[in-house]
Amino acid sequence: MTRPAGVLLREATKVFFPKTPNEVTALNAIDLHVDPGDFITIIGSNGAGKSTLLNAIAGTYRLSSGSVWLGDQDITGMPEHGRAQLIGRVFQDPRAGTAPSMTIEENLSMALLRGQRRGLRRGVSNARRKHIRGQLEELCMGLEDRMTAEVAKLSGGQRQAISLLMATVSEPRLLMLDEHTAALDPKVAGTIMEITGRIVEDKGLTTLMVTHNMKLALQWGNRLIMMHMGRVVLDLDRAEKSVLGVPDLVRKFHEVAGESLVTDRMLLDEPGLIV
Amino acid sequence: MEAILSSGFEQGLLYSFMVLGVFLAFRVLDFPDLTVDGSLAFGAAMTAMLLTHDVSVWIATLGGVAAGMAAGLTTGVLHMLLKSGQSDATNYGPKLIAGILIMTGLYTMNLRVMGRSNIPLLNEPTVMDRLGDFLSVTMRGWNLVIALAIFTVVVKFALDWFLRTEFGLAMQASGDNEQMIRSLGVNTNFVRVLGLGLANGLVALSGSLVAQNQGFADVGMGIGTIVAGLAGVIIGEVLFGERSIAWVLFSVVGGSIVYRLLIAASLRVGWFEPTDLKLLTALLVIAALAMPTVRRRVVRM
Repeated sequence: MTRPAGVLLREATKVFFPKTPNEVTALNAIDLHVDPGDFITIIGSNGAGKSTLLNAIAGTYRLSSGSVWLGDQDITGMPEHGRAQLIGRVFQDPRAGTAPSMTIEENLSMALLRGQRRGLRRGVSNARRKHIRGQLEELCMGLEDRMTAEVAKLSGGQRQAISLLMATVSEPRLLMLDEHTAALDPKVAGTIMEITGRIVEDKGLTTLMVTHNMKLALQWGNRLIMMHMGRVVLDLDRAEKSVLGVPDLVRKFHEVAGESLVTDRMLLDEPGLIV
Repeated sequence: MEAILSSGFEQGLLYSFMVLGVFLAFRVLDFPDLTVDGSLAFGAAMTAMLLTHDVSVWIATLGGVAAGMAAGLTTGVLHMLLKSGQSDATNYGPKLIAGILIMTGLYTMNLRVMGRSNIPLLNEPTVMDRLGDFLSVTMRGWNLVIALAIFTVVVKFALDWFLRTEFGLAMQASGDNEQMIRSLGVNTNFVRVLGLGLANGLVALSGSLVAQNQGFADVGMGIGTIVAGLAGVIIGEVLFGERSIAWVLFSVVGGSIVYRLLIAASLRVGWFEPTDLKLLTALLVIAALAMPTVRRRVVRM
């Protein structure tokens, strides 16, 4: 089992379209220290830099300045596919994390080989199939009986469960969840979130979870950070966040950012939030 | 009737490797590769040139395959350079341009390799002759069909096996969800280049065998290969289905045979001239492409 790694961002800055009228500072000299095994929830208004933060750690693009460390390794200049063996990721769109015309067992076999050399051995070996079946059984969704079904034939929730398994099955040193339950209906989103919590706890994964759902952000994880205009404006540990409710969080945001946190999407989740 | 059947099967099997190659590029890698028009003739030209230099038939055939592979690899590398910076997997522009450029360049290459536009092979030994000598039969008609069928099945199963390996799964995923398989640490550029090499190697194998069978290599013999290949792929998928990779590989071989049977039949009944074939093929592909949509409309009504 790989050790979960800490993450360290040092003055991480990302400027899009630099030196043009459209210049946007998406990350503004962020210093963030994530301990190994931390489960951090990240909230913030639209354009706060949440997704940019995850993309910068994943290597989707390079930082404009500053550095990213994963464990004791400086990964600032490492290409995306080089970081892949270290980082598992789940996106909002259930279609993003799986190959639709391939079977469940093929998808998961590929995930088991995360970051490894792929040779001419059988892709879905018996050992892998057995391992995958065990993992699917733990999802309690009956998918262990449909291992040769095309992923395209699954529902959004089932696909997202497979994506989650693919991101974690090879025990990455860091798991990043980018609003991974936002596109699902509330009941399915609840199931996926429960599975997420179980997997993260079982494997002790270092986890960063972006969400726009403040209730989720308070309920899950041992630490909560709030972003605004490319900065971390609030950083709460387990004890601090355990005594807060959603309205407290909205008030806190008002204090530090001087504007309302409430966005349309948050209102959809929490109709009582109109400030 | 007998003649239509045997020539349809013979041509269908000779071209089945080309159809498998087009399937690999078009369906597996999601790469509409126009290189095939050039690489089919390239395989034929290389084999013909080697045969006239008294090289063994086996090496001459392999030389043709290698030539096609080189063409495919070149298209892959060119595509990688053309699309640099954009990682949008559904951007077909650079894919089409890379194929067109290499296809055009290959026309000159083929003339250079052959030294003229046509090399007759009637006085040269061929793979079919050698195999016939070995088995003490005449490699014509149904004997040839059976030999080709066995070879096609072998190649089909080899491809099947390859696509199920760890590397093969990554190749399938590169055409299915490139971003996902990249995030699992696969360099999809490398995989795509290799896949195109393999696909065009298969196409050139057909070119080499067709030239040896028909007794000449011609610089124009590759024209329309992509459309004929698509016809085989689509007819196969529509008629025989696409349940799994193993199944669909049989389907497209079947599609190749059905397509050539249709052509043999349409020439035999005398309604059409050989020069009408390109238009007929294009119409056939359009009809096959429209079939799923039409079927859906009809079901809805």
